[in-house]
Amino acid sequence: MKRLLRILGAAVVAAGLSTPVLAESTIVAPGQSTTGTYMDYMKTVYARATFAELLQVPLTSFDKDFKLTALAAESWKQSEDGLTWTFKLRDGLVWSDGQPLTATDYVFALQRAATNGYDFAWYWDFAGGIKNWKEVTEGKADVSTLGIKAVDDKTIEVTTVAPKPYLPSVVSLWYPVPKHSWDKLGDDWASNIDTVISSGPFTLADWEKSNNTVTLQKNAKYTGPWQAQVDKLEVSPPLGAPEVGLPAFLAGDADYSYLNTGQVPVVKQRYPDGLRKNAVFAVSYISFDLNSKPFDNVDVRKALYYAVDRNELTNTVLKDIAIPAGSLLAPGYPGYNADIAAEAKFDPEKAKAFMAKAGYPNGEGFPDVEIWYRDEGGYNSAIVPPMAQYLQAAFKKTLGINMSIRSMQTKDWMDGLLKKKNNLFIAPYEYDYLDPSNFYGLFYNGGRHDHHVAKYDELVAAADSNSNWDERLKLYAQAEQVLIDNASIVPLVHPVTIAVISDQLKGDASQPNAQGFTPLDRLGHYFFTHLQKQ
Amino acid sequence: MILYILRRLVSIAVTFFVVSVLVFLMMHSVPGGPFDGNDMPLSAAVRAKLMAQLGLDQPLHVQYFNYMAGVLRLDFGVPYQSPGETVIGLLSRAWLPSLVLGGLGVLIGAPIGILLGMAAALKRNSWMDYLASGLATLGLTVPVFVISMGLILIFAVWLNWLPASGWGKPERWILPIIAFAAIPLATYARYTRSAMLDTLNKPFVTVLRAKGLSERRIIFQHVLRNSAIPMVTVFLPMFIGTATGSIFVEAMFRVPGLGSYFVSSIQSRDYPLEMALVLMVTLMFCFAYLISDILYALLNPRIRTGGRR
Repeated sequence: MKRLLRILGAAVVAAGLSTPVLAESTIVAPGQSTTGTYMDYMKTVYARATFAELLQVPLTSFDKDFKLTALAAESWKQSEDGLTWTFKLRDGLVWSDGQPLTATDYVFALQRAATNGYDFAWYWDFAGGIKNWKEVTEGKADVSTLGIKAVDDKTIEVTTVAPKPYLPSVVSLWYPVPKHSWDKLGDDWASNIDTVISSGPFTLADWEKSNNTVTLQKNAKYTGPWQAQVDKLEVSPPLGAPEVGLPAFLAGDADYSYLNTGQVPVVKQRYPDGLRKNAVFAVSYISFDLNSKPFDNVDVRKALYYAVDRNELTNTVLKDIAIPAGSLLAPGYPGYNADIAAEAKFDPEKAKAFMAKAGYPNGEGFPDVEIWYRDEGGYNSAIVPPMAQYLQAAFKKTLGINMSIRSMQTKDWMDGLLKKKNNLFIAPYEYDYLDPSNFYGLFYNGGRHDHHVAKYDELVAAADSNSNWDERLKLYAQAEQVLIDNASIVPLVHPVTIAVISDQLKGDASQPNAQGFTPLDRLGHYFFTHLQKQ
Repeated sequence: MILYILRRLVSIAVTFFVVSVLVFLMMHSVPGGPFDGNDMPLSAAVRAKLMAQLGLDQPLHVQYFNYMAGVLRLDFGVPYQSPGETVIGLLSRAWLPSLVLGGLGVLIGAPIGILLGMAAALKRNSWMDYLASGLATLGLTVPVFVISMGLILIFAVWLNWLPASGWGKPERWILPIIAFAAIPLATYARYTRSAMLDTLNKPFVTVLRAKGLSERRIIFQHVLRNSAIPMVTVFLPMFIGTATGSIFVEAMFRVPGLGSYFVSSIQSRDYPLEMALVLMVTLMFCFAYLISDILYALLNPRIRTGGRR
């Protein structure tokens, strides 16, 4: 008996030793802004809390090859006249408090956006073209006239002013708001960790408001596609600065870190397999006040266009963090036109000739100008300031222009741009939805820069509503040619982000796409749900 | 003395009022408001609605009086960048880590600095003096983010003894506190050294020595006390400077403290928080100088104001 007990005891001990201890997997990631107001993307985009969008499930999303994928929406169809879209929600979606997720939650999110302060509301007019959107946001029409309605719990109907063939990609930023919670608490449902609920792959476990650090955990109630493959995800915005992120990565406190130019050579040597590059779908360009001297003269603008040596710029001061831009669209972006991009050549002789033609041979008589850029975080903080200095030297050398530089807070810069307090700016822009119309819309009918060129507007409008992809691209190419011929802008560079990731990170999202790029958290929903940690 | 303190309290109230008006005006004269400056502007109707909700559509003097009426009731409003809590709530939450960091930094740095300064003064031109003066010069001249980076490299990356950054667990406090302590340590080492040297050369010290007092009594009872005035001048303001958070140390070590709010409240035009922070710092400095003045009088009867001989 004693022997039997001993054998049993040994067996129990052995079993105990051999049972693998299931450690919780936690990914520690860098974030972006160290301040955040609401944990609600549909309340505010610019001031949202860290990765508020990961808590909710959008209708659609993009994978790392930028293929549109159905998430909350199971299917969609466009009406014969192209003006109405019907989205069907999939079965079994619930809020983390157990309440069903319905079409009303999506419709309510946009109704509130149109009426009650949403810094991204322009998007649904400019990108979505939703019927009556502008009238409602301007207070001229009732919210019930908006072109969105919940037909039943599972069906959303969207009516647009003109055919919008790319609407399914626009709705990748359409997240639900829990109407049942909002009815009780108002917008404050999203300002307190105890009342935040989610419909997507993660729930909120912790929120340190002082630096906007969040800890998310896998949402066990989420049944849709793209479920989390790790238990926890800690996102800390201070780690977003490479100077803080890389030391933490080296000490094993972070799973990946973005890099600045100085760090790249060291990391290339130590972690050759861990380097990840991404061409961000963004562009930095010079923008002018086209109506005031001296930039009201197209020859002056063309002189600047030809005076920039983009190859030298991206091989020296912006090495590893930017590639030359000759077009608004970055390589790989749908509709990218290599022929247009190739037109932006460095040609100092041509540049000088244009200056002379404008009446300023060798810059003689040209007024001193100032270029304004905004001091901001993220990848632009490493790109824009050295680029401004490079341009200052290049314009002096090639054109004889004296240009000083002013770095400004975002709000002051925007105020200056909109009110035309200056005539020369460096403007960065990153895409909001994956369609050429996104970038061309920046200059359409006023747009971001009070830009009015009738021929351009006509071509962009025709392209936007054309359902034939090839015809659309032709129209957009013609429109961009108008923009270039008018030298409305001088495209400069497309940013590239470079990061190092730990070899413990596995899963599809940790590997580059077909073009060799790894978009990392630029595609948050895909990235954080397709990562595993060993 | 009591009359003097009362007079000072009245002058603090006047300072507080003047600062509040000045800051309020400066704050509102900066272009842009809390809802401007994003890539795409809000529609005019929505913007007007939000401005009205926050009372920003009222004339400036009305806004000022409304705010100050709240301040007198200790209601500083709701911070625009953190809805769902009050300014007081935010301050008490974010201040704690800054206070731990700054408080411990000063409490550790200052005594070590004083000891180093004393040693340097007493063993003038010895290796001890060179070490102390060297450390002090380094602490004052090397920027704190470089010191922080060095500490992270040595203790987190190379030796792997401590976490690189973060807060919460006490082992995460060690490196930021050391980084923070560098400035009080260096400042105190320099002040103490020069004040002590100054005092040691005074005739009364020679007299004390001639009287046959032990060196220890001379140093601790007489020299140190007579050298304390400059240290008192530095101590409280420095304590406030550190207790309100260091933007650099907090950013480098990811400390969820108050430091970053000084910047973000200005950048995001968070008027209630900006006002509260400035008023708070103003009051703290006013009281720090008042307390310093009282301490002077206690340390040196010759400075006593209003007193008769």
